[in-house]
Amino acid sequence: METPSPLPLPSACHDLANLDPAIADHAPGGATALAPAVLEVRNLALRFGSHLVQEQVSFQVAARSIFAVIGMSGCGKSTLLRSLIGLLCPSAGQVLFAGVDYWAGTPAQRNQLRKGCGMLFQSAALWSSMTIAENINLPLRQLTALNPQQRQARIAEVLHWVGMDSCADVAPADLSGGMKKRAALARALAAAPPLLLLDEPSAGLDPINARRLDALILDIRDRTGAAVILVSHELPSLLAIANDGIFFDAESKRPIAHGSPRDMLAQSDNPTVHAFMRREILAASADHPAQVAATP
Amino acid sequence: MLFPWPDFLRVTLQCSAQALLIVITVNGLVGAILAFVGAVQLNKFGAGIYVADLVGIAVVREMAAVMTAIVMAGRTGASFAAELATMQSNEEVDALKVMGMQIGSWLVLPRLLALTLVQPLLYVFGCAAGLAGGLAVATGMMNLSRTAYLDRSALVLIPSHFVLGSIKSVCFGLLIGLTGCWQGLQAARTAAGVGEATTRAVVTSIVWVIVLDAVFALCANALGV
Ligand SMILES: Nc1ncnc2c1ncn2[C@@H]1O[C@H](COP(=O)(O)OP(=O)(O)O)[C@@H](O)[C@H]1O
Ligand SMILES: [Mg+2]
Repeated sequence: METPSPLPLPSACHDLANLDPAIADHAPGGATALAPAVLEVRNLALRFGSHLVQEQVSFQVAARSIFAVIGMSGCGKSTLLRSLIGLLCPSAGQVLFAGVDYWAGTPAQRNQLRKGCGMLFQSAALWSSMTIAENINLPLRQLTALNPQQRQARIAEVLHWVGMDSCADVAPADLSGGMKKRAALARALAAAPPLLLLDEPSAGLDPINARRLDALILDIRDRTGAAVILVSHELPSLLAIANDGIFFDAESKRPIAHGSPRDMLAQSDNPTVHAFMRREILAASADHPAQVAATP
Repeated sequence: MLFPWPDFLRVTLQCSAQALLIVITVNGLVGAILAFVGAVQLNKFGAGIYVADLVGIAVVREMAAVMTAIVMAGRTGASFAAELATMQSNEEVDALKVMGMQIGSWLVLPRLLALTLVQPLLYVFGCAAGLAGGLAVATGMMNLSRTAYLDRSALVLIPSHFVLGSIKSVCFGLLIGLTGCWQGLQAARTAAGVGEATTRAVVTSIVWVIVLDAVFALCANALGV
């Protein structure tokens, strides 16, 4: 059942901010040059009991930026995302949403901050007892003031964006892995959150749809003004769309490079970063020869 | 506050209509066994009619509530635990939390409500089945007319027995529902974790149902009910 319809190109996307005031409320819109960082992480340490995953993690995610979290499997990328959305208490450090310290707040304040995050889980995490449309409807009911007709319109719209128009009434169990990811992406962005966290969105997508997904992420960013934190192994897409990022080292258990993936590839003198980037580039060159040729 | 009506209806159906047959079967057999044991012993003293007392009081005060609870712990409590543990390991519970959904009201409340509402109804069916099982065995084994048995039953089955049994069944429903949901949400995020949560839910519920039943017996005795 994989990918019966290709992802629509960005020009097919409708204007998110014009849909409804309840949604537009959420979106910071165009002129945000002076806005504080949407998210700031200060000296974060992540542990499971005595097992250290990462420490000394510090970075800022500017409004409208696409921030890449890069590193080998098991280095703690998903764990970082879980700590950013409040599912895992970091053992040290701070997470600030627009300057507000998440873990210092009361449970009610944290709940409020968390509602501003749209998360695509690595396992998609669609609610299995509901259809895809119901999966998208629930965050709309919970987080927006849309009426049922507007919600239906919004569901159709986001499903169209991810190229799954025909899958509204399908149960998650009947979808392939890549389709689940796309449905979960539609769910994550349905309520137009100011911060989108995407855990390997293109894993399980064919190369053509992976490229279209890049365009879609850029388009969503442009239309909603959302900042995107992107965990990905797809070097071509990281190089193409991410303008900032962090590289986690599994050995030393701390970040070893900051900045845009392009700069990491061109300038990092760290052998791990270099080897990782080169290896990914070589592995990807079969799929994306043009992209590879275009990278510095 | 959002309430998951489709989930609530699905769970209610699952723990009512779909559980009815096994509840009736188990309780009917328990009534029959009680009558069989009673008939063999009481007939020795020419007191066969008192089988109606034995079966009636034992079924209505104790067995219907307890047996129904044990069946529901193995059936519904286990399925609550397995379902929630699977949702936990698939990150479905996390996805709810990120949106600011209350896990208590979205996942636990509908299940608890369904089971607590349905449990007293099942208890009534359990009573009927137990009494019918007793009647069938007693009249079949002994030279006892159906009318005499029923008259004797009507005499001993005062409303307080039913009230006690109903209160117990509500408490058992709450206990089984809470245990199942709790164990499911506490489960480790692995396939083995789902199995362990299910086992723990069933074993804990059954033990606590019996402990709670003993507490009820002591209290009822102290209050003279
Ligand atoms: N619930 C957990 N309990 C203990 N250790 C965990 C748990 N989840 C992840 N880990 C460990 O944390 C490390 C990082 O995992 P993860 O963040 O999933 O890596 P990835 O970068 O591939 O997303 C791994 O070593 C993993 O074994
Ligand atoms: Mg991961």
